[in-house]
Amino acid sequence: MELFIFNSAEEYLGIDANYVYRVVEEIKITPVPMAPPYYLGLIYYRGELFEVVDIVGLLGSGKAKLKGNPRIILLKWSDKKLAVIPDRISGLLWIEDKKGQDTIFTEGNHSVRLITPENIWKRLLELPYGPTKISEDF
Amino acid sequence: MGRTSIKNKLILSFLALLLIVTVVISVINWVATDFLLSQAISTALALAAGIVFGGIFSKSLVNRLKSLSDAAREVSHGDLSREIPLLSRDEVRDLEEIFAKMVDDLRNMISEMKNVSIQIQQTNRSLLDFVKKIVKRGEEIDQLTKSIAKGSEEQTLIVQKTAISLDNGLNQMDEMVKQSSETVSKANEARLQAEIGENKASQTVKHLEEVLKQMSEHTQPMFRLANKVEKIKKVINIMDDIAQKTDLLSLNASIEATRAGEMGKGFALVADEIRSMAENSKRSSQDIKTMVEDILEDNKTATIALTKSEEGINRGRETIRSILNTFSETLKDVKDISSAIKEVEEVTGKQVIQMRNLSGHFQELSRLADKNFISTQKTTVATKNQIDDIVKIAKAMRSLTALSEKMMLTQQRFKLSAARQPASEAALETISETALD
Repeated sequence: MELFIFNSAEEYLGIDANYVYRVVEEIKITPVPMAPPYYLGLIYYRGELFEVVDIVGLLGSGKAKLKGNPRIILLKWSDKKLAVIPDRISGLLWIEDKKGQDTIFTEGNHSVRLITPENIWKRLLELPYGPTKISEDF
Repeated sequence: MGRTSIKNKLILSFLALLLIVTVVISVINWVATDFLLSQAISTALALAAGIVFGGIFSKSLVNRLKSLSDAAREVSHGDLSREIPLLSRDEVRDLEEIFAKMVDDLRNMISEMKNVSIQIQQTNRSLLDFVKKIVKRGEEIDQLTKSIAKGSEEQTLIVQKTAISLDNGLNQMDEMVKQSSETVSKANEARLQAEIGENKASQTVKHLEEVLKQMSEHTQPMFRLANKVEKIKKVINIMDDIAQKTDLLSLNASIEATRAGEMGKGFALVADEIRSMAENSKRSSQDIKTMVEDILEDNKTATIALTKSEEGINRGRETIRSILNTFSETLKDVKDISSAIKEVEEVTGKQVIQMRNLSGHFQELSRLADKNFISTQKTTVATKNQIDDIVKIAKAMRSLTALSEKMMLTQQRFKLSAARQPASEAALETISETALD
């Protein structure tokens, strides 16, 4: 299978390249009020809305840096659309089929963690509405 | 009545007695019958007549001599008031007159002596008063002289101290004149050095101007280089941007090729190559960018250094100009100071001359003060001697007063008639009492 490898918070993540719709840059992220804490907003690309997720924070390994003009990976499968912001994009890598979400394999000197957009979506849906800080205060 | 000598008296008396005796003997002889008897009676009568006549005559003479002797005794006892009787008409009369004259002379002399004694005492009293005044004045003079001597001594000390101070002052002024000369010399040296410094500062300013000009000329290419490098940087940024776009494009092409499956494998290879080229060009552009940034940084550092150097040179130029101005002002001040010091030197020289004259005057004054002190000492001694002499005179006058008193006492032994009493006895006593105080 073809994996799309990117780096976030010192961790290499890999996602099936078939889920990757585009890699874009210089697109404005519009924030959404009362959204979950790792839900960064919406972007509009060629007539479609993509929900931008802080993949690093969502997977519990830190927080996206979002500095400069980051590249955004647009994921699209069935009727769902997500956008994640990596620190750096490594490229495509052909590997043998792996088991699925959170599988870790070694490529060269690096360990790569496999993620699926469904899992990202699922975790996103589990998040409470509104900022974490506010919900904790309540 | 005429005067008769004793001899004539005796002759006349003897003839009268002889006549009487002759008459008596004639009568007796006439009467008497017996011759012897008559002779005896005549002899007896003659003897009796001789005895009576001799007795009367001697008694008269003795009585007058006794009277004269009594008068002489009274005179010898100091009674000069008695008048000498002039009873005789013979040679005793001369004696009486001489004695009376002697007594009268003695009386006059004693009276005169009394008067003289009184005058002596009066004079003594006046003299004693005068001597007292002289002694008092002498004591005052002595005090004044001592005071003058003390003042002279103090004056001498002050004059000596002042002379010493003047000498010290003169020495200091000499030193000051010497230092003034040295200062003038040093001021001239300083002026010379300031002139040299001013010339050198002017030359340094000229050199700095040239250096600045050269630096400005040398800096221009660097600024031009910086501008060119900036342009290169912009081009590199564009290249980098293109590389990024190419990379993104190739990445998306690879994704599309992957999605196309087997049909897109060839395209995926091309996309990979393109991405590889984009990454290479990106790395190259990054390297160029790094080099350009290094060049820019170096150029910036050099420019900053040059700017700083220029600023430093400008500051140095300003500083040197300031130093130049300071040198000019210093030169002016040094000239002023030099002229002022010269004036001070001249004035000090004049002051030294005047001080020397003053010192000479002070030495003269010191000498005069010494002389004055010695004179006052001598005056003190002379005054003391004078007072001693006056005391001796007073003692002599007291002795004289005592002698005059003694003379007065001696004179008091003589009794004079009231008419011949001199002055008032009470006054004389008062005089004698006051004179002997």
